[in-house]
Amino acid sequence: MATTLFTSYKMKKAKILLLIVIVLLPLTLVSCSPWGSQSAGGWAGTAIHDGIIYVGTRDGRVVAINSSTENLEWAYSIAPVTAPSSGLSCGQTSVPTAIYSTPVVDSDIVYIGTYSGQVLALNMLARSQNLTFPQQRYGEWEWNCPIDNAKSNAIVADLLLSGDNIYVSSSNGRVYSLDKEFGDLNWESKVLDEKHRKLWTSPVIQGNTLYVSTYDGHVYALSVETGVSIVNGIPDWIFESEAGFASSPVIYENTIFLGSFDRYLYAVNVTIGSDEPMWKFPQEKPAGNWFWTPPIINEGILYAGCLDGTVYAIEAKTGAKLWEFNTEDPIGTSPVLMDNLLIVINESGTVYVFDLSAEFGGEAAPLQTISSGADVRSAFCAQGSLVYIRGEDNWIYAVDIDAGRVIWNLNLAVEE
Amino acid sequence: MEVWYLIIANPILNVLVALTQLLGGSFGWAIIALTVIVRLISWPLTKRQLKSTKAMQEMQPKIQELQKKYGKNQQKLQQEMMKLYKEAGINPLGCLWPMLIQLPIWIALYQAIMSALATAPESLLGLAQRLYSWDIANQAIPLASSFLGLDLAGQGNIILAIIVGGTMWVQQKMTTAPTVDSRQQSTNRMMTLLMPLMFGFLTLMFPSGLALYWAVSNVIGIVTQYFVTGGWGYLRPRSLSQPR
Repeated sequence: MATTLFTSYKMKKAKILLLIVIVLLPLTLVSCSPWGSQSAGGWAGTAIHDGIIYVGTRDGRVVAINSSTENLEWAYSIAPVTAPSSGLSCGQTSVPTAIYSTPVVDSDIVYIGTYSGQVLALNMLARSQNLTFPQQRYGEWEWNCPIDNAKSNAIVADLLLSGDNIYVSSSNGRVYSLDKEFGDLNWESKVLDEKHRKLWTSPVIQGNTLYVSTYDGHVYALSVETGVSIVNGIPDWIFESEAGFASSPVIYENTIFLGSFDRYLYAVNVTIGSDEPMWKFPQEKPAGNWFWTPPIINEGILYAGCLDGTVYAIEAKTGAKLWEFNTEDPIGTSPVLMDNLLIVINESGTVYVFDLSAEFGGEAAPLQTISSGADVRSAFCAQGSLVYIRGEDNWIYAVDIDAGRVIWNLNLAVEE
Repeated sequence: MEVWYLIIANPILNVLVALTQLLGGSFGWAIIALTVIVRLISWPLTKRQLKSTKAMQEMQPKIQELQKKYGKNQQKLQQEMMKLYKEAGINPLGCLWPMLIQLPIWIALYQAIMSALATAPESLLGLAQRLYSWDIANQAIPLASSFLGLDLAGQGNIILAIIVGGTMWVQQKMTTAPTVDSRQQSTNRMMTLLMPLMFGFLTLMFPSGLALYWAVSNVIGIVTQYFVTGGWGYLRPRSLSQPR
């Protein structure tokens, strides 16, 4: 039809080119614009050990910052990757590796997983001397996750350090157990999610069993020693839900708690082997959005942040709601306990402090509300009265709960 | 940007995700169903376009006469042709509407595919803010991207590119009126080849899900043209001098 029109109007080549531009331009703009782009810097959180804060930056580095002097102790740049082209992308470029997993610190080694599919063991001394990586004599190693016929080997979930091993969930759908000293592979699980082939949630361990939740709505129980399912029979999962599980699981007294894409928080008893969950929260209708991050548990009470902006206190045994508070912005990171204080941060970077010794009715009231000034999606850590937050702006913020303000901040980006 | 998401991008995303759940979790079938829905919604415009095509086909002997008569005077030829269209009640620009309507749908669909299939963790988290509170949509998340051996989030392959280009060529050929003007013939030939080649190329650049939409949309276009205009149109032309 279009050509008939052009016949009619004696279309010239310039007009044909114009038509091509009309078609291509919006698609090009979309694929080159931020909303068409897939790449980003990740949401690695902060970890503190012996007064040093460790964090993955949005420009693909692991940095160590002295919390007392606020100085950069060392920084290690992870090898950049070639960005996959998407749409009429503006060409393949070398971009910093995204880091989603929060560093795990064990004595003088910092472990981190990368979106490029590597697990790195960084020695603090070797990094502070800026030696070539890896320095085996300092206990450094790197492990490359196989792609294994999947689309990706990216490591998005936090690493789990337990005993002498590190457990890694991969975007290829498998869990790996690595020897923490040398990075040797102990075992790999079977593919746990054939449908999606991605594990973006961390496992948890209780006793000799490793529990893993998947996006296709299953909870698996694997032997810590071998990675083989401990259920003899088909199916070999211990729990199945209609919707996928959005958050990593946490375990407390034989019960796994985890958030689902159906906007419920599930409690699953791992010893009963029932098809039904112990309870689902909320009990009547689903929450306003997903429980994206795992809850934390203290003295039989779960504290769960939801992407609908509400933090809930729930009785672990019954699923009964004790109180709630709406922060009005999505909560994309787990709360943290500081003595008797519960720290909650929402995506707009507002820090809420709740005194858990206070008597709340159905609606809680925060003791403090402090603005960090940055959007926050990353896990955060706390020590003393300070909360260390990595913002989406690639700055780190130290928020003093007592003072009720940000006492220092530092740009994590490489200075040009 | 907010308006774009509110009016176009989010409705398309949510319908696509809900269709996925309704169709047994298959995102590919959801894209096909969405294509049918879009085609149904744009049916009034398509119908007008097809009627215009048919009318133009019937007018071809007269147009060819004009081309022979005023071939050397382009301005006069255009004036006479416009007069002819006016008399027949045809708006030649009307045929552009279905194409223009497709553009925002392509863009929204591209965004929906990248967002719904959540190839990056940010996309999955971002999806939470774009999904309606429909149970059916939330239960479908996250979506699996494989369909008939295709990775719907990955770039299209050569077979898909040939299907997209081929079906577009057939559709174009069905509606491209032959002409006696040699310059016009070469322009037509170029257009008939250029668009399919361009979309074939785009298939290799963009997610397969978008190419699937193009391919299905072309096939629906061919079928409707076949039945509404009563045959293969100019794909199997009779002699130019023979009136239709």
